[in-house]
Amino acid sequence: MSTAAIEQLVNQPYKHGFVTDIESDTAAKGLSEDTIRFISAKKNEPDWLLEFRLKAYRHWLTMTPPAWPNVNYPEIDFQNISYYSAPKSKKKLASMDEVDPELLKTFEKLGVPMNERAALAGVAVDVIFDSVSVATTYKQKLADVGIIFGSISEAVRDHPDLVRKYMGSVVPVGDNFYAALNSAVFTDGSFCYIPKGVKCPMELSTYFRINTQDSGQFERTLIVAEDGASVSYLEGCTAPKFDTNQLHAAVVELVAMDNADIKYSTVQNWYAGDEKGVGGIYNFVTKRGLCKGVNSRISWTQVETGSAITWKYPSCVLRGDNSVGEFYSVALTNHYQQADTGTKMIHIGKNTRSTIISKGISAGHSNNSYRGLVRIAPTAAGARNYSQCDSMLIGAKCGANTFPYIDVRNPSGKVEHEATTSKIGEDQLFYFQQRGIGAEEAVSMIINGFCKEVFQQLPMEFAVEATKLLGLKLEGSVG
Amino acid sequence: MNVVSKHPFVDALVAGGRALPASTASWLNLRRSLALERANALSVPTTRDEEWRFTDLATLNKLRVEPVGQAAALVDVAPYAVSEAATRLAFVDGVYAPALSSRSPLPAGVTVGTLAENLNIQSALMGVHLAAHADFNEQVFTALNTAWLRDGVFIHIAQNTALSEPLHLLFIATLKDAASCPRCLIVAEAGAECTVIEDYVAATTEAYFTNAVTEIAIKPNARVRHVRLQRESMQAVHIASCAVSLAKDASYVSQSIAFGARLSRYNLDVIHKGEGAEAVIDGLALISGQQLADTHTTMDHAQPNGRCTQLHKTIVGGAAHAVFNGKVLVRKDAQLTNSAQQSRNLLLSSTARVDTKPQLEIFADDVKCAHGATVGQLDAEQLFYLKSRGLPDTQARNLLTYAFGAEIVDRIPVKSLVAQLEKTVMAQTQASV
Repeated sequence: MSTAAIEQLVNQPYKHGFVTDIESDTAAKGLSEDTIRFISAKKNEPDWLLEFRLKAYRHWLTMTPPAWPNVNYPEIDFQNISYYSAPKSKKKLASMDEVDPELLKTFEKLGVPMNERAALAGVAVDVIFDSVSVATTYKQKLADVGIIFGSISEAVRDHPDLVRKYMGSVVPVGDNFYAALNSAVFTDGSFCYIPKGVKCPMELSTYFRINTQDSGQFERTLIVAEDGASVSYLEGCTAPKFDTNQLHAAVVELVAMDNADIKYSTVQNWYAGDEKGVGGIYNFVTKRGLCKGVNSRISWTQVETGSAITWKYPSCVLRGDNSVGEFYSVALTNHYQQADTGTKMIHIGKNTRSTIISKGISAGHSNNSYRGLVRIAPTAAGARNYSQCDSMLIGAKCGANTFPYIDVRNPSGKVEHEATTSKIGEDQLFYFQQRGIGAEEAVSMIINGFCKEVFQQLPMEFAVEATKLLGLKLEGSVG
Repeated sequence: MNVVSKHPFVDALVAGGRALPASTASWLNLRRSLALERANALSVPTTRDEEWRFTDLATLNKLRVEPVGQAAALVDVAPYAVSEAATRLAFVDGVYAPALSSRSPLPAGVTVGTLAENLNIQSALMGVHLAAHADFNEQVFTALNTAWLRDGVFIHIAQNTALSEPLHLLFIATLKDAASCPRCLIVAEAGAECTVIEDYVAATTEAYFTNAVTEIAIKPNARVRHVRLQRESMQAVHIASCAVSLAKDASYVSQSIAFGARLSRYNLDVIHKGEGAEAVIDGLALISGQQLADTHTTMDHAQPNGRCTQLHKTIVGGAAHAVFNGKVLVRKDAQLTNSAQQSRNLLLSSTARVDTKPQLEIFADDVKCAHGATVGQLDAEQLFYLKSRGLPDTQARNLLTYAFGAEIVDRIPVKSLVAQLEKTVMAQTQASV
């Protein structure tokens, strides 16, 4: 099979492009202290949170957008974005029946029948539609074991002390340009608190969507696992098709105390723009986990297939002795997509360990970069890291880059990094075809094999969806 | 222009460059004045610049250096002599020293001499290559060197001429606070072959500044072996760049060894301008105390079928800091490129530090590229094995450290130099434990 045929396989149109027609309560475009006060007042927030936002905003004003990522895009006009958008029907809903049927239809089109999925798989889905949480299920079951799981807005109202204690503790307000922006204007997000010794009885899952045209979405997620607690959290994303670029700048903070275990999985399939590179989401996300306690563990798994631009480095700060950080990633770019993604593993505690497995697939005119940092601080005696970054190129017009920073300041640290680049060989395809397997299926099998190490880390329910999302990108080739 | 600089070394060199008498070659005068303009316009990099992120030039900024006009006192060059190399060009503080050089007769078609003495004879050839490979538009140090371009080494090997004996280029530093700008141009015509040893040594223990630039043009099917030794004083600042351009099926094999300098930076930029070119770029930095050794290499695969293998090693003791940035760029048309890079780093003390970044940028799909990096201490099992054979701990450690460094030294194609360097590695290994 020729390279052209392979290219044809991966150039399939986006299937999730549709707009749900729901009236939104949207703030006027522009960003100022007044906008922030408006958001804060709209959400009936306490003073400390308004102060938190204003502090972030004032810091943001002094910052400039990062220029170092290997991505190109026109300058963003931050005054041309609406910073608040909520579906009009804001009445609290007790059951699924009360959810706006338009909304439910949207989810059906996405192939996520929420109630069915919840019932069959035992997954609690905290659905976030635009910026306000409108439906939460399985809340009671979680409350029985003492787990707090809901929107950040609810948490601010019901558990202000917890939110105040941890919000901004992992990603400070002035951490970077987009994190500062998020801290100033975030509208909603998820909050999860697992008390001491509790193992979360089910996978926690949230769907993020961007719906109102031109409204940037600024999500804020905070997950805290107390001593001995464990939780697995899933985040999946799809978005309707729009021609103007939409900015998404989320912040995710994870805190793991002694012996706690947090697993965070993401499948991202936002609109990536059309085959000419018009439109698509700008996904500038700050995700960071803090292994605060001894023997704690934070594991990031991501499958990134969407967005026009992805700028995302889920990181682990390994402060507790013997703590473990993991990063498993598949990033697929096609057409004119650009991805600059990777991780940071900051080893501070003794005998901390980290693993990085990154698989990048580039097709079309896209550009896919892995950017990672492994730092072994002088205090991190016996630290250990293993990194592997593999790239696959489909076609001769795409690019694959690797920028691994390794910074070691302790001689007992041991760091290994490996990277390879390859393509789908014609001899490989020939072998499959000669065994009676069609070219499309062969490409699919080769790519799935390439990503296997990462897919294995996903929870079962999600692994199915991940393969499906990859299949959308490589339409027809996934068997 | 004429911005008040906060960097005394820039001022000193720019003033020196201005004061240079005009050359007889107008193209050289033009390039010098362009470089002078760039040197004035460019700012000195800080740790905020990605390319200088780990290398703080504060040490250099503190120096009050001056360029040297006359060759200084006689130096005993015997300790540095390489027995296989009958031809030696010696420069003292950047100035050609005929008394310390040895100019044995060379085969027909081989020119080895200074830029100054060959300028009128080979003006056209030099015009094509000199200051044409090493970019002075963006690099302030290359601009300073080019602005100061007065003399240097000129090597030209004619078509299909193979020179078996190595050529020794010896740069000796003798004066405190001297600033020197060594310059080399090596042109190997089609099918030519040569081995060049570029050697920086110190006859002083004081601080001074070396700012070297080397350009190597390798024509189709030609081979150049390049050994680079940096043995500056422990107070010195050594900043150097080397630009290598390879034509079709040409080959460049280099070992660059860094032992000295308080702060050293070596930029090696290799570009495959023709199909099927091959490069082997190996490096070793053996440092301790407060030393900082920074190596930045760029392997630019601009044409198809190119090959490159690279092994860079560092041995870091005391509170020293080793930096490696190895960029492999595979351009759109460079199909069937095969490039492999390894960065191996050994930390000997708890205050030593390594920053390594093996970087791949690939824009062609049918290529084989791999890189790897490791940082660690000596392997506990290997140590145990040696100790179980009766070796004391220190000796076992020295032996393993020595073996780690010797892998690069042993690749040098000049036997006496290998023996000499192995002794240095052994001595430094023992000193740093």
